[in-house]
Amino acid sequence: MKLLKIENNAGWYLNDQGGFAPVDKITKQDLLRLVSLILAEETEVDEFDAEAIKNQAHQLIYKSISEKLGDLRDRRQEFTDESQRLYLQAYDKYRDVSSQQKDSPDG
Amino acid sequence: MKKIDLHVHTVPTLSDSPFTFDLGILKRYVSEAALDAIAITNHDVFDRRQYETIAEALDIVVFPGLEVTLDCGHLLIIGNTTNLDTFDDHAREVSARITQPGDSISIDELIGIFRNLDESLVIPHYDKRPAIKRDALEPIASYVSAGEVDSTKKFIRAIKDETKPTPVLFSDVRISENMTAFPTRQTFVDCGELTLHALKTCLRDKGKVALSETHGNQLFQVLDDGQMLSTGLNVLLGERSTGKTYTLNRINASHDNVKYIKQFSLVQQDDAACAREFSEDLKRTRSQFIEEFLSGFKVVLNDVMNVDLRADERAVEDYLSTLLEAAEEVDRRDAFSNTALFDETEFPTSEDKVLIDLIDSVRQVIENVEYRAIIEKHVDVDSLKRLAVELIELLWEKKLDGKKKRVVNGLVRDIQTGLKRRTSAAQVQDVDLYKVSLNERKVERFSEIVKCLQEVAIISEESIQGFRILATKCSFEGAGELKSASGTKTAFRDAFEQYERPYAYLRMLLDKEDLSWSELYKLFTKITYKILNADGFEVSGGERSEFRLLQEIKDAQNYDMLLLDEPESSFDNMFLRSDVNRMIKEVSETMPVVVVTHNSTVGASVGADYLLYSSKEIEGNNVVYRVYAGHPTDLSLHSVDDKTINNYLITLNTLEAGQDAYNDRRRRYEALKNRK
Repeated sequence: MKLLKIENNAGWYLNDQGGFAPVDKITKQDLLRLVSLILAEETEVDEFDAEAIKNQAHQLIYKSISEKLGDLRDRRQEFTDESQRLYLQAYDKYRDVSSQQKDSPDG
Repeated sequence: MKKIDLHVHTVPTLSDSPFTFDLGILKRYVSEAALDAIAITNHDVFDRRQYETIAEALDIVVFPGLEVTLDCGHLLIIGNTTNLDTFDDHAREVSARITQPGDSISIDELIGIFRNLDESLVIPHYDKRPAIKRDALEPIASYVSAGEVDSTKKFIRAIKDETKPTPVLFSDVRISENMTAFPTRQTFVDCGELTLHALKTCLRDKGKVALSETHGNQLFQVLDDGQMLSTGLNVLLGERSTGKTYTLNRINASHDNVKYIKQFSLVQQDDAACAREFSEDLKRTRSQFIEEFLSGFKVVLNDVMNVDLRADERAVEDYLSTLLEAAEEVDRRDAFSNTALFDETEFPTSEDKVLIDLIDSVRQVIENVEYRAIIEKHVDVDSLKRLAVELIELLWEKKLDGKKKRVVNGLVRDIQTGLKRRTSAAQVQDVDLYKVSLNERKVERFSEIVKCLQEVAIISEESIQGFRILATKCSFEGAGELKSASGTKTAFRDAFEQYERPYAYLRMLLDKEDLSWSELYKLFTKITYKILNADGFEVSGGERSEFRLLQEIKDAQNYDMLLLDEPESSFDNMFLRSDVNRMIKEVSETMPVVVVTHNSTVGASVGADYLLYSSKEIEGNNVVYRVYAGHPTDLSLHSVDDKTINNYLITLNTLEAGQDAYNDRRRRYEALKNRK
């Protein structure tokens, strides 16, 4: 799945309808959605190319966002590992107490 | 045997409450307690003139002494009566260094002042506050003759423990003009002439010290009228209104750290209130369990408290708005804002938590000794070591990389600040999207954990004295419950509305100024206790009282003496015989116990070491209350004023309602038993 692309001399991002919208229209919710996607699955981001984007405003936005998302993509595995281990001991401890109770015949 | 009290205060100092010394009172104390020697041991002060007056007024040995305030506790130094000048000089040096509250001297200073401690008797507070720390005594260990304790329980314990010095029990009394009763804490020593040297020799031998003159450590004086008690189990009998409770009250008043279970104190009046109080009691005594159970949650909570999702959202918003603004104003760019570093974002830096955890796990497998054989059966430990080395090297590399990135980030920040000052172009505010995402995950996981905690489940099941205690967790059911769990007057109605949404609820709690953040973990799950009897049913009011009595007796281990007033008032005989008697006996093996009873199950079956009988007697126009005492097998019991009474008769009268009733009951039981 492509999250950011360069086309027709402009930068585009994947919107919540599954289509692409120009990067200068991106909102906070859009950005957080892209962040979730890039951390959760295999995605693609067209690398920034100043030559390929004529619009200077697009250049600036695309460069910044693509770098940010690129950094996150590089750390995806780290994020997955860290998330899975997050408070794991406490989580297991309290989940086990509750689930044992549910399993026991007289619980 | 000589009776000594080498810890007597006669001068109010910085360490005392004010009092006025009275020589007449001291004379009375020495005479009534029949002392053979005392030492004047004021805090860091030796008043030579007063000492000489006292020594002249009393016809017993009076040693000069000091209670020295050391930085590691208190210590008695007792000098020789024949070398007052030297002792006075040393004491003055101590006084000069301790001139205001909080001052103290070190052991080294003490050695420096007294130079040859061999000339003195050195007795540290050993099992008595402020106690000297054991290792602090090392430099003067060879001079220590005895260790002061403050109760018969500790005295007996020290006598039995080979690693402890000879115990001495002294009064530590302030001889004040207002004194109405005298202390009973003194020590008997098997010593001929009472010289400092002879005392030092005696005190080094545990066999030469005792709590009583003729009964070794089996008896000790409990009241200032000379009344003795066993250091083990005492049973106090007597008709109604003969002063049994009065005697217990006197014992309680004249000793510190006494566990006193009063008559009817465990019987419940109002069932609902008692059940609530009982549950609160249980919660308090079991708070350590709650702490342990919630310790993992506490760590999570402390971390999540620092997560501010709203601030994260704002940071993303700021990033995007400044980015879009900068894009809009792209034509306003100048030489400063066109530099590459102007829009540069910082390098993300990782804490490498996952890698660090992984290295720890591998090391644990390598270093485990207990399961070594199984580990070696499945894994080649040498290759694990190579793995650990590689991971550690990678961590070093990452750490170095992280350090470099942090240096560059700092540099970029500095340059950006400089550029920003020179240009009107908007600068993009950076945001750490990794952290933002991780914070979201933290909140998700936190919410899952809290949901688990709020589910109803038994978290522990423990058997105590035939009862089963079930600890259950569940959710709070209203703002009122939260208020009582918080122990504050804070209103929780608004917070409780968010209770189902753990993170929102946490933010509400954090906004409440009256709440201590370190206590917030108690407000997410409610822990309740249920006690079941041996048949698995919830306890009745009576059983609750039984449980409390057993808990109270067990709690006595933290005290120096146990007084128990008529336990039979609230309990049936089977319970008393099976549980109470056994526990009382166990406690009496470590400290003096006095049980007041009319009940033959307790009185006759508990196995008393010493029997007391209180009696109200009319002598002429006066009512005299007397306590007779002796061993349970003695023919007669004796009072402190040398009256005697027949042991068999009073025991039968008190416990069995007299000989006739006893014979009658026995015949009825026999008849019942013989019926076919």
